[in-house]
Amino acid sequence: MVLAAYILLIAIVSLLTTRATPEIWGYYMVEEGGGFPITHWENVIGRSRSADINIPLTTVSNNHALLIRRDEDKWMVKDLGSQNGTKVNGYRLDPDKRYIISPGDQIDMGGVISTITPPSIEETRNNRFMRRLDKEPVAPWKILLAITIFQLLTIVQLVLGMGEEITASALLCIALLCVVMWAYVMFFHITGSRGFEMEMIAFFLSTINLAVTASSDPGSVVKEFIALLIGLALMIFMCFYMRDLNRTRKVKPVLIGLSIAALLINLIFGTAQYGATNWIRIGDNLSVQPSELVKLAFILIGAGTLEELYDRKNTVIYAAFSLFCLGCLALMSDFGTALIFFATYLVVSFLRSGDFSRFVLTGVAAGAMGLIVLKFKPYIASRFNAWGHVWEPEFMDDLGYQQTRTMSFGAGGGMLGLGAGNGSLKYIGASNTDLVFGFVMEEWGFIIAVLLVLCIATLSVFAVMHIVAGRSTFYTILACSAATMFLVQTMLNVFGAIDLFPLTGVTFPFVSTGGTSLLTSWAMLAYFKAADMRRNAGPAVGKEE
Amino acid sequence: MRKQEKRAVICLVLAAILIAGIGIFGYRLVKNGGEWATFYGNTQIYTDGAINRGTVTDRNGVELLRCTPDGFEYTDDYELRVATAHVVGDPQGNVSTGAISIFRSQLIGYDILNGTYDATANGKRISLTIDANANRAAYEALAGRTGTVGVYNWKTGEIVCLVSTPTFDPAYEEWEADEESSYYFNNFIDGLIIPGSTFKLVTSAAVIEKMKDRDSFTFDCDGINQLGEGDDTRLTDVSAHGEVDFRGALAQSCNGAFGALTREVGAKAMQEYTEKAGLTKPVEVDGIETAAGSFTFPDDNEVKLSWAGIGQADDLVNPCAMMVYMGAIANGGEPVQPTLIKSATFLKDLTGGKSLGRYLDKDTADELRSMMKNNVVENYGEENFYGLDMYAKSGTAEADSYQPDAWFVGFTDNEDAPYAFVVWVQGGGFGAQAAAPIATRVINALGTSGE
Repeated sequence: MVLAAYILLIAIVSLLTTRATPEIWGYYMVEEGGGFPITHWENVIGRSRSADINIPLTTVSNNHALLIRRDEDKWMVKDLGSQNGTKVNGYRLDPDKRYIISPGDQIDMGGVISTITPPSIEETRNNRFMRRLDKEPVAPWKILLAITIFQLLTIVQLVLGMGEEITASALLCIALLCVVMWAYVMFFHITGSRGFEMEMIAFFLSTINLAVTASSDPGSVVKEFIALLIGLALMIFMCFYMRDLNRTRKVKPVLIGLSIAALLINLIFGTAQYGATNWIRIGDNLSVQPSELVKLAFILIGAGTLEELYDRKNTVIYAAFSLFCLGCLALMSDFGTALIFFATYLVVSFLRSGDFSRFVLTGVAAGAMGLIVLKFKPYIASRFNAWGHVWEPEFMDDLGYQQTRTMSFGAGGGMLGLGAGNGSLKYIGASNTDLVFGFVMEEWGFIIAVLLVLCIATLSVFAVMHIVAGRSTFYTILACSAATMFLVQTMLNVFGAIDLFPLTGVTFPFVSTGGTSLLTSWAMLAYFKAADMRRNAGPAVGKEE
Repeated sequence: MRKQEKRAVICLVLAAILIAGIGIFGYRLVKNGGEWATFYGNTQIYTDGAINRGTVTDRNGVELLRCTPDGFEYTDDYELRVATAHVVGDPQGNVSTGAISIFRSQLIGYDILNGTYDATANGKRISLTIDANANRAAYEALAGRTGTVGVYNWKTGEIVCLVSTPTFDPAYEEWEADEESSYYFNNFIDGLIIPGSTFKLVTSAAVIEKMKDRDSFTFDCDGINQLGEGDDTRLTDVSAHGEVDFRGALAQSCNGAFGALTREVGAKAMQEYTEKAGLTKPVEVDGIETAAGSFTFPDDNEVKLSWAGIGQADDLVNPCAMMVYMGAIANGGEPVQPTLIKSATFLKDLTGGKSLGRYLDKDTADELRSMMKNNVVENYGEENFYGLDMYAKSGTAEADSYQPDAWFVGFTDNEDAPYAFVVWVQGGGFGAQAAAPIATRVINALGTSGE
């Protein structure tokens, strides 16, 4: 218990206090105006105050042109259809076409002449030095040790609490998780990575996941563990793959196709569970939730480089794809997941366009659609009726059954919990998925349950804090939409179980039992890793001298 | 890029909402956790809808009920079971005032830190303030009649005896009475009864404070005390008391005199002092509220006002509230809140219970006390309360029954027996004859259990 608090607090504090100093990629020298350090790979030049390179002259348009780093000393310029146009070395650029320029080329925007100079060797060295002074991510060893002890105690508790009911394989999986965790950290530590807090949080959450699964359904712990391994592998793969921005961008159409196929297959062959048809059975005892996997693709498809954000076609494709996903989910009656997708779509399109009025409008339109859904799906409307009234006799044992049990058993756990394996909420349906917050409250106590939520919040806050040093909006959007997805999912899960919101039946990232959900959560971590711009943060950013 | 960075703040907003939601829930958990945890849906602590852990004992450790996963195990003593049924409660929860309902979270041992965690799964042992012997004595003394006996320590607030009849055997599972049945009704907590002459103690309080010349008050009682024309304007008495003063009027319980006194102080003052005496509002006993009494004092009808002043007409009093009023007189005007659960701290024994605030001025309380002593000396006979420093007032209330209801209320002020009490026996007859011996018997039984 104390151990858990310790583990999480160290990781959370470390994530929130370490900051990256921006790297300087070059200087943008304006004639008679001095130089601007270029700290991003993608920059907007313009009069607008939020432009990355701000030239406050009336002859310059608000968003005049893009300046994008391609290579060591190659830059790309693209005029964004500005009023007065852009000239390079006297040659007038066609709007919306890319031009490669080199340092020294004269750029003329509305009469302002400027050039790009690479940072001097000395400056580069200074910058590197500064970055080395950044607070190092906390060394992982103490946390690793703490988690290991925690895992051992979990095994002991499960044995004490469940006796004969616990299976050896379930306990073995928890032990193996420990081994995998050490192997992962050691391997990447040797290869030079230093930032492990996010993985530590994920390993901790996964330990709780295995404990919850072991307590409620010991037989499926092995499956859960295998899903975790696949998720971990997928995360590592994605981290490496996403190092190359162009490669990542190119995979988008493939993902769109795969997602559409997955959702269609789900629609045709899907089986229903708890009202939603979001499962596909493969063989006798294996079933997957394609919509979970589509989440991964959905995030990647929504992300875009700065250049793409100014490209209308790209936006339209994204909107159309979102609509398709939402439609499929609605047909599957999986409204919880639909809500997650929609919220993510809203946030991503806001990130892309910055258009707040559209943000609100879309929200209102969705609300109206929601009302229509309520009209045609009476069982959803009835859940709304029970919302906030679950303790009333009318709902207590009916539509509020799961919520009242969650709160009752959860409160029974007090602050410290009854111990792993000792809970009774596990005899209630969906307790280890939709009601997992109450499950953890009962067996692990309210404090740990809150810490789980804080973990998710921390990952998200971290994503926002660290994008200042982001290389491309692509990674920024990736991290932010992954954060949104985690946050919204946690909200729906937790708030649904404790009657702050109608029960929608979605999973708690990492913690809820369910192979596909766990796998996806791990893979999503790659999006956060990709945005972690601290020095040597991990496999997604490569090693720095 | 900078734009996107700024817009990313929206993620922080989402995180804030998430944490705010958890905050709200945390607040609710602290506030309602006990109630949630003890909800009957919690199969950790309920088996087939009945609490499966915890033991209820009387103040001396006599086991009254043990809750187990196999059901409730009541004491083997039949008489004790029925005598404590309304305090302990029944498996079906028909008695809403039972300890099973009120002290559920204490029985389970819920606390915010450990929840319902209990290594032994035996639950907690809660000790009620009642004395098994006293309850048994009260049950026996009521002898099958409808009634109630309530006794509490007016210094600490501990209710040492609480019996309501008719009662039932909670261990008898085939019990077929419906929920509205009077067997489950707790007269002490939920009853509203015509107070009869016991109410003269309230009228007296008004007289003491409002009538400066009360010492010169006299009334010539002819036993009929005609107020106006016709039979329905009489304030009849049992006998002609002759000329009585204020003290004598209370000792003799003279209706004629008290009718005159009521008219003298007036309807407004009567209303005021009834409220001051706490008889119009519920009394809180460990979270349950008693019924609230109701009284009407018309200022345009002298006959009705007179009857209201002597505890008849529309007057309805709750026995528990009456007992607390006795506690107020005993304790110098400031009653202590009654409680049913014995607190583990001896601090309470030293400092006394929680005060309910000032009901009466100290002087008024002292004068009432001396008049109640006078009642005992002049009317009831001190020899009937051997060994007890008794202060009391009887009541004989005309109700619907064939015989009048008998009341006996008051308190004792012995060092080892500071008890305020209320006894009501439906159709019991004359208060001093029928109800006073019950009070004596119960208080004497309290002395026997090694207090």
